[in-house]
Amino acid sequence: MNGFEPKIVAFLCNWCSYVAADAAGVARLPQKPNVRVIRVFCSGMVDPSYVLKAFSSGADGVLIAGCHPGDCHYISGNIKAMRRAPLLKSLLNDLGVEDGRFRLEWIAASEGPRYASVIDEMIEKIRILGPFVPATSRTMKGAV
Amino acid sequence: MPKRTLAVYTATGCPACENGILDTHYQVSSLTPWVDVVFWPHLLGGEWEDLEGVDRIDLCIFAGALAGEADREAAARLREKSEVMIACGACAAFGGLPGLINLRPESTGKAAETGDLEGCPPLPAVTRPVAGLPGACTVDYVIPGCPPPQNLLWAAIQATLCGGEAPARISFAASRLPDSLASAIAAGVLPNKGSVFGGEKGVCASCSRRKEEKKFTSFHRPYELNPDSGRCLLEQGLICQGIATREGCGGACTAVGAGCRGCFGKAENVFDAGAKMVSAISSTFDATDSRTAEGLAGQFLDPAGTFYRYTLPEQCVLMSAGTKE
Amino acid sequence: MMTTTILEPLRWTASPARVAVCTNGNGTGAYYQVIAPRNAERLCVGRPVEEVPRILTILSPAHHLVSALTLDRLFNVEPPPPAVHMREALVRTQFFKHHIRILYLLLSSSENPFRETGRVRRPGRTELLPLHVLEEIKHHEALAQEAETILGGRADHPVSAIAGGVGRFLKEPHYDRLSEIAGRCLEFSVSTAKLLNETLFGNSKQANRLFDFTLPSIPSMASSSDGGTVVLRGPDGKEIERFAPADLFDKVGLEREPWTYQPFAYVKSKGWRSVFAGAPESFFSVGPLARINAGEALPTPLAEEERQRTAADLGAGPYTTLGAAYRALTIELIGAAEGMTDLCRREQLTGPSIRVIPTEMGRTATAALEAPEGLIAHWYEVDDRGIVQNIQVLDGAAGNNALRCLLVRQAVETTGAVGMNVKDVKRRIEEILLPF
Repeated sequence: MNGFEPKIVAFLCNWCSYVAADAAGVARLPQKPNVRVIRVFCSGMVDPSYVLKAFSSGADGVLIAGCHPGDCHYISGNIKAMRRAPLLKSLLNDLGVEDGRFRLEWIAASEGPRYASVIDEMIEKIRILGPFVPATSRTMKGAV
Repeated sequence: MPKRTLAVYTATGCPACENGILDTHYQVSSLTPWVDVVFWPHLLGGEWEDLEGVDRIDLCIFAGALAGEADREAAARLREKSEVMIACGACAAFGGLPGLINLRPESTGKAAETGDLEGCPPLPAVTRPVAGLPGACTVDYVIPGCPPPQNLLWAAIQATLCGGEAPARISFAASRLPDSLASAIAAGVLPNKGSVFGGEKGVCASCSRRKEEKKFTSFHRPYELNPDSGRCLLEQGLICQGIATREGCGGACTAVGAGCRGCFGKAENVFDAGAKMVSAISSTFDATDSRTAEGLAGQFLDPAGTFYRYTLPEQCVLMSAGTKE
Repeated sequence: MMTTTILEPLRWTASPARVAVCTNGNGTGAYYQVIAPRNAERLCVGRPVEEVPRILTILSPAHHLVSALTLDRLFNVEPPPPAVHMREALVRTQFFKHHIRILYLLLSSSENPFRETGRVRRPGRTELLPLHVLEEIKHHEALAQEAETILGGRADHPVSAIAGGVGRFLKEPHYDRLSEIAGRCLEFSVSTAKLLNETLFGNSKQANRLFDFTLPSIPSMASSSDGGTVVLRGPDGKEIERFAPADLFDKVGLEREPWTYQPFAYVKSKGWRSVFAGAPESFFSVGPLARINAGEALPTPLAEEERQRTAADLGAGPYTTLGAAYRALTIELIGAAEGMTDLCRREQLTGPSIRVIPTEMGRTATAALEAPEGLIAHWYEVDDRGIVQNIQVLDGAAGNNALRCLLVRQAVETTGAVGMNVKDVKRRIEEILLPF
């Protein structure tokens, strides 16, 4: 898989994680350029369908990042995200999306370095997994 | 008005859809003045060669999933002759139950590849994942359901064949159809291409059970408890997909205490049934920390096989990618 | 050099099927081919086991009930009497609907049933039958379908039976409607049998090429009348083996051939051989004729009367003609309607409870049921969460696959010998396969 550059879609909460990403940039922390950032108002508004849509549109990984529990600008939006994540993960697994391609992380506005490290870690993991190909087209390549 | 020509065919599935066409207290015979059945091999007999003598088919009702090349060939032959093609039933519309095999696609097609034929006739190959009719050709209309309720079947026949002059006996059919469809039927014009003969909202809209916004702390399997009658099944911890599924069935299963499994496909404004169900189910979790949420999610078994029970090949955004040519 | 003539698509088959007639240096051989796989078993692997009754209705409505019976065994629960009666009434109704549909298809087999007026030609005869006979059959089929909907939640794919019972009580208006439907079905089944005896089956002296067709001589398998044991009988009607339904898959195996997607059920103790290897004792047939050929008295009086009448016309069984297979349908039609009238009474369908909540779960379970199409059976193996790991299904299509292959070969040989044209051969094959 030489030269494979994973595409990661990151849904970042406007109040914490997006600020952290911004801070990471301002601080000139080295981070890989594989992320497509989508700023959302709350991690709680990232419907599971956004995640599926990202994968079906060619993403190799999806990150949802929001405020730490208790810090949500909207009181409990991140708790909603937290409730959805495990079931979404198990659905994704069933559909052939390996562990590590989807992550939910809490990154506060002050945690620029953490943002950079989460992203780097994800990219390296997905680089090993290779590009995401939906299960049906994967098995059919040899057969047709 | 000259008689319209009708063809009916079932690929891989079961006879339930064709039964539906025959069964509406047998009003099929009241279609006789309007319709000339030119090809219905499972009922009238006939061979594929008979189709060559037919200039044009005004309406083809195609049921069943495309499981092998034989089914795909049948679909292509009928599509070529047909003015209007309807995918009838969950199998044709979305891949249906046979499409569940795509979750383990490596196991298809063994029979065709192995074994020495020694003078026996060969079988049509099975090399591609199971698809619905849209995976192989253009579909004009869809009648969802497994099997489709007869009122919707008849609404579709009425809309496509009767030109606004349906015999009184079959005009009862249009209940719970979207306005655009109902008015097209009344006006005797063809509905917009791509219309689905079903409701627009979710099954919940026509389910008689009461919703109370309750949270629950554990899932239940259907055999584990006697659901309270009259209360929403999902809120009692039983999986029911009414919220993600197109209405039109009138809540037939939930009325018997059985959760909806989505045979009508996703509702109009749902992007993906699985995503919608993840969202709907997890919002009822009584969990404020991630371990509780993980525990609850862990009780839930086989999400893909449940959420996409009837729709995996055509409506699951991650699995449908492989079925198109 | 091999030449192949293909007759397709075949009428009245559950899966797309065709007949391929291969001619080469060694002669002619006809093959009955199911041309696309349904893979019903594989659809269930990985699913929670309680979902199987809803998934396998794709095979036939009766699979819903045999699946519920298997779940009863898996969870070790005995459903309360009203639930048993509701399930049983649903099976009887399925029998009625299935059998009357086959007779309808037979009667309309040489004509387009969508004609406005007139009469239908009976198969193999020149005299005509009034068209309203077909209309009445359709009407009663629709009534049976209504009863199925009441009892099963939905008609073709029922949902009501669950482990330990059924999912809901009937409602007040249902009781009267059910008994009304049952009464009308009973009346109609008796008059239909009379009509068919007079106009179609005739008596044994009147030769009829279709009904005199001799069936291949292979064993048959059917449940005993109390459902407690499964009996394998030789073509001569003598009992070969008797075993408990729970042991069915120890006795019966399923194997595939490379030229059809439909697996074959065979008798394990005889070993698996190709259906054309000249070892018919390895196979068996199921269905109405197999049940009637058991030669046991029927529990319901009118059906028993009809059985005696058949015996008077055709002699004592076991029967080996196609006509007898159709007559077995009429006998069972009456029996089904009698069963419906007996079960669809308020006192049978009411009680304090309709289900038992299971408290334990086993790892494997088997159950068998006499369905309209023949003996069917399920075997499941589940993990500790109740997820299906392995599953075996005996359905009517597998049970009779060997018989159907032999029938097709024989039909092609006999009709080819008298020089029928291809279309007529195909129609004849369809009419021969219909009651199986």
